[in-house]
Amino acid sequence: MASGIDLSRECRHVFEQIRKLKQHRYAVFVIQDELVVKVERLGVREASYDDFLEDLHRAGANQCRFAVYDYAYQHQCQGASSTCLKEKLFLMLWCPTLAKVKDKMLYSSTFAVLKREFAGVQKCIQATELDEACRNAVEEQLRSLDRE
Amino acid sequence: MSGGTMLYGGDEIGALVFDPGHHSLRVGYAQEDSPKAEIPSVVGIGAAPETNLDPETKTDNNATPNNADQRKFYVDTNYVNVPRSQMEVQTYMKDGMIDNWDLFEKVIDYAYANVIQSEPEYHPVLFSEASWNVRNNREKLTELMFEKYNVPAFFLVKNAVLAAFSSGRATALVVDSGATHTSAVPVHEGYVLSQAVVKSPLGGDFLSRQCRQHLEKHGIDLSPVYKIASKDVVKERDNGRFTLRKLPENLTQSWQNYMLQLMMQDFQMNVLQVLENPFDERVAAQIPTVHYEFPNGYHQDFGSERFKIAESLFDNAMLGAGQLASTSVGMCDADVRLSLFGSVVVTGGNTLLQGFPERLNRDLQLRAPSNTRLKMISANGSVERRFGAWIGGSILASIGTFQQMWISSQEYEEAGKSQVERKCP
Repeated sequence: MASGIDLSRECRHVFEQIRKLKQHRYAVFVIQDELVVKVERLGVREASYDDFLEDLHRAGANQCRFAVYDYAYQHQCQGASSTCLKEKLFLMLWCPTLAKVKDKMLYSSTFAVLKREFAGVQKCIQATELDEACRNAVEEQLRSLDRE
Repeated sequence: MSGGTMLYGGDEIGALVFDPGHHSLRVGYAQEDSPKAEIPSVVGIGAAPETNLDPETKTDNNATPNNADQRKFYVDTNYVNVPRSQMEVQTYMKDGMIDNWDLFEKVIDYAYANVIQSEPEYHPVLFSEASWNVRNNREKLTELMFEKYNVPAFFLVKNAVLAAFSSGRATALVVDSGATHTSAVPVHEGYVLSQAVVKSPLGGDFLSRQCRQHLEKHGIDLSPVYKIASKDVVKERDNGRFTLRKLPENLTQSWQNYMLQLMMQDFQMNVLQVLENPFDERVAAQIPTVHYEFPNGYHQDFGSERFKIAESLFDNAMLGAGQLASTSVGMCDADVRLSLFGSVVVTGGNTLLQGFPERLNRDLQLRAPSNTRLKMISANGSVERRFGAWIGGSILASIGTFQQMWISSQEYEEAGKSQVERKCP
């Protein structure tokens, strides 16, 4: 069951820029006029996770957003002494507790479309509070993929 | 008014949202914040009218005489709750689904005439349904709305999906405790994982029966408010001093039970509370008591018993709410289990019982694998908790792009009632 809201072409384009070309660190998406998903902000490659959270919250503490982030971390392979850099793409549904029910409904019923269109995302993260969107929580979820 | 109404077939007309439950049917216009009416899910059925001298029945504008049978039907609180000779009370719901279609139609007729006050053919209709609704029932409802009410468009959506979405989650375990059941329904990206739905008959009505048994055992007179003409102020635990109202003869057992149940619902919502840990007499005894006055004037403090009664929703080894939830998650694929534990949505009128979400959290944490991040989401307001599914439907039906999702009357004409399985999964 979905809202029927679709992505703009720009969204797909930006996603490929992140996934394939590694041009941005992250992108924040917004639903415009209850009609279409648009790109709201892009993060440069050097941007930190805190920059991302700032951009995610920039519109206000009660605003929902989608985001894609190319997350990099050091991974220690089993049996090896050296570590290697890993990069994983995650897709986030950010519906803060304070948001209006209407916005929560719009964003969560559109989330499946992003998931379908953004092939190559390794983890979907739903967050309604900061403790689910913070760096530690996200990294924990991404690292859990390595153990499998 | 651009956002307030939806475009359909060139006319700007508001869609309607119906959310049927065992306790009540919620009805109203899409885009509004709460339903216009909450109609009890029971219908009063009068005896065939022979000599009708009761002035009250004469003025009822909704007592629709049915030509096929001569019985009278009474819908909505103001009509059902009136003592009438030989009026039986019957529900049209069974196991979370619409069961008695004749009675159900009476209620829908009433809703259009008295709540919506408009013609059905002008308004698209969105219905919510139980997650375990069966195909036969879904098609029947589709048929009814198109054939009898000539609605221009129709949509059917699972109430668990609406509850998840309105909490900001596309994937969630929805724990819904209502009048007749408590259920755990996993929703994955907007779809119910129907093979993992788990439900139990322990809900609000079950608690009502427990309360009644407890009070009767302690010799407390349970005269509902309709029996009481006047009452005096008495000291705590003194027998109530009241005079009885003059009532019509031949009040049916089903109506009296229904009225008693309403009274128990008030009692349980005001008095019962769930402890955060399994019931312990010593802990419960230290919590301040709650004072409750019965309709006949009798009043007393309730202490540990108010926790003991509520405990029955949780301490059942198979059917306790925490057990239901973890059983449901366990039946899902391993890769969605963590996301489900990570978003447990608590909804339904019965979860307004004080302490319900906290206890569920504790019980589920014990049953979840260690180091699982458990997250409970429950709306704070009682309106959101009781009408969560309705509010979700109200928003969904008002989204412009959602128009393409409806089953239009044209599609129905062309492909028939089986459309509902295709368009409303």
